[in-house]
Amino acid sequence: MANARALDKRRKSIRNIKKITRTMELIATARFKKAMDRATAASDYTRRITGVVADLARAGLEVSHPLLEAPEKSTDATLLVLTGNRGLCGGYNGNALRLGMKSRAALLEEMKNLTLEVSGKRGINGFKFRDIEADETFTQFDDQPEYAEIEKIANRYLAAYEAGKLHRLDVTYTKFHTVARQEIVTETLLPLGKIEGADTPVDPEAVAARESGESLYEFVPSAESILEEVVPTSFRIKLFKCFLDAAVSEQVARMIAMKSATEAANDMIKDLSRTYNRARQSQITGEIMEVIGGVEALEG
Amino acid sequence: MANIGKITQVIGSTFDAEFNADSMPAIYNAVTADIDAGGQQRKLYGEISKHLGGGRVRCVALGSTEGLRRGADCVDTGAPVSVPVGEETLGRVFNMLGEPVDGGAALDKSERRSIHRAAPAVADLSTNTELFETGIKVVDLLTPFVRGGKAGLFGGAGLGKTVILTELIARIASQHGGYSVFAGVGERTREGTDLWLEMQETEIGSTGRKVIEQTAMVFGQMNEPPGARLRVALSALTMAEHFRDSTGADTLLFVDNIFRFSQAGSEVSALLGRMPSAVGYQPTLATEMGALQERITSTKSGAITSVQAVYVPADDPTDPAPATAFGQLDAFLYLERSISEKGIYPAVDPLASSSRILDPAYVGDHHYEVARRVQTTLQRYRELQDIIAILGVDELSEQDKLVVHRARRIERFLSQPFYVAEVFTGKKGEFTSLADTIRSFEELCDGKWDHLPEDAFMYVGAIEQAEEQAKKMAEKA
Repeated sequence: MANARALDKRRKSIRNIKKITRTMELIATARFKKAMDRATAASDYTRRITGVVADLARAGLEVSHPLLEAPEKSTDATLLVLTGNRGLCGGYNGNALRLGMKSRAALLEEMKNLTLEVSGKRGINGFKFRDIEADETFTQFDDQPEYAEIEKIANRYLAAYEAGKLHRLDVTYTKFHTVARQEIVTETLLPLGKIEGADTPVDPEAVAARESGESLYEFVPSAESILEEVVPTSFRIKLFKCFLDAAVSEQVARMIAMKSATEAANDMIKDLSRTYNRARQSQITGEIMEVIGGVEALEG
Repeated sequence: MANIGKITQVIGSTFDAEFNADSMPAIYNAVTADIDAGGQQRKLYGEISKHLGGGRVRCVALGSTEGLRRGADCVDTGAPVSVPVGEETLGRVFNMLGEPVDGGAALDKSERRSIHRAAPAVADLSTNTELFETGIKVVDLLTPFVRGGKAGLFGGAGLGKTVILTELIARIASQHGGYSVFAGVGERTREGTDLWLEMQETEIGSTGRKVIEQTAMVFGQMNEPPGARLRVALSALTMAEHFRDSTGADTLLFVDNIFRFSQAGSEVSALLGRMPSAVGYQPTLATEMGALQERITSTKSGAITSVQAVYVPADDPTDPAPATAFGQLDAFLYLERSISEKGIYPAVDPLASSSRILDPAYVGDHHYEVARRVQTTLQRYRELQDIIAILGVDELSEQDKLVVHRARRIERFLSQPFYVAEVFTGKKGEFTSLADTIRSFEELCDGKWDHLPEDAFMYVGAIEQAEEQAKKMAEKA
């Protein structure tokens, strides 16, 4: 039977760990709610944008834009991997890193030049450990990524894409479906391929109305120029959504990881207490036996 | 004229006798008493262990005291118990008194030696230190045995002490030119019979001779009274000592189980009127153990290499009996329940086991360094175990994840198929040479085999077999 004092010490340290994990669980729950609200708000905005595109399409306008077409060359690609800045969130960072590594290997086979961009300290360190230095790193995104910050990054991509220096942008992140289901995915954001709402069937009435100048919508200065604006915005929103999803997923992952950690700590404390009590009892019994044995032997 | 006394008291497995106060039998002298139990005549031996004063002596019975009566005659033999020694003992099975129990002819003419002897003098001891290769990876790497030294197998109930001991006999004795002596102390009689039959089948190398022809076996198993279990190890040791001293050959002494020796001592101790000491053991625990262990040693005239199984009661190595035995050994293997629960056999705890000669001066820098690397990895893994249990393996740093990854492979690679377990595992026993062992573990620590699945490392010999096993597993899947 193990030493009772050593068992007690171990039990104490596990109690302390439990306190931390329990607190982290509560914090993650609160943060998750906030992040979730932001993600919901953003999806409202996305829906409006989709509506505008759908309207344009319905009006018979051909939705075409360089961002939607595959570029002629395909030699330069960028992979953006979204991870967290902090640990204690179960497999969240590890999974993103694993898929990131896989996507990177796949892209390296296809493309000549690959730029690796990583967000989150965990991901940066993970790649560094595998002797892969990221070309660009971000650590400013926590549970509430700012649109302004992401817009800057998005604009940089757009500029590079338009200049023909970037032919493909892939993002590896954790997609948030529900609290119970998050999925780690690699999505191609550039070329955009298609934008939602663009395949809305053309409404002949609307076309006729536009041509005759009696349209429901009046496009100022022109429908094309609006499209010119909407497509890049749609890309920015998409990128922003990736960051938001990643942030929500991180909080969910942390919440779940900390909950099970607290439970595991509880189980362990229970086991240790049982062993401790038994050790303590057997120690006492042993000592009593020795005293009684000694007395008996002296009498006999 | 024989010195005859009368039995005055019988207490369990001890009895008192009264002799003439002028001709008292000396301490350790053997006395005999005739017993007539239900028409069956037999002779009971006893050993004087205490003089009570006034011609009265207290004896430890070396057989069952059933049928012994007060007032019966008790004859002093004038000498301690002695056992036959020499080449006649080879191939035979004896009891503690040196009587054959294998149904063969009695050894009346052979030389006899008293089972109580002094340990060899300080000046006669041999200080030669040489590694004794067993072909078992975990043993050779982490707890190298010493030729002419003592090795102990510590473990709780059912962890495979006897299996490892039998395996060592199969490995060592079958390649060993010298003599072997096996002492069965307080263990299952069935296991003793199994071993005896197996020795009759196993050949020594390719000489066509059987292991049993070079082996003497002495049994005082569970069914025997404590007196017999207390002395049977000495009987076997006396035979081994004779081989060492007279022939100079390398002699092997296997003892299963030295704990029973302490236990038997504790059973008679209180009856002899000694006050119990810690955990109810006899106060003379260390003395008894020392007297036995100090005789199992190598001298200038020859070497005794001994392997002893030591039962650890309630898996508590701090129990006085195993703790006393522990100090006497050169190498000790600690068998751990949590490892056997993972299905890894031999269930040797790589961190709790050690050897005196795991030292660069004896095994060389390379061996030492690899052994230390393996231990460091496993040590770190053990430290991380609590964190893994609470937070999960994902929370570890990348470096620690790698340590866990390798440690889990090393842990499994420490298992090995045994010759004697062939019928159970269906795998042929593996003899892994020391060079292969060191190389395999070094490559594992270097991360050369990180890509193989964990199960590929179970029950293989050298690392190449793990690779083969991985291929086979991949084909099956």
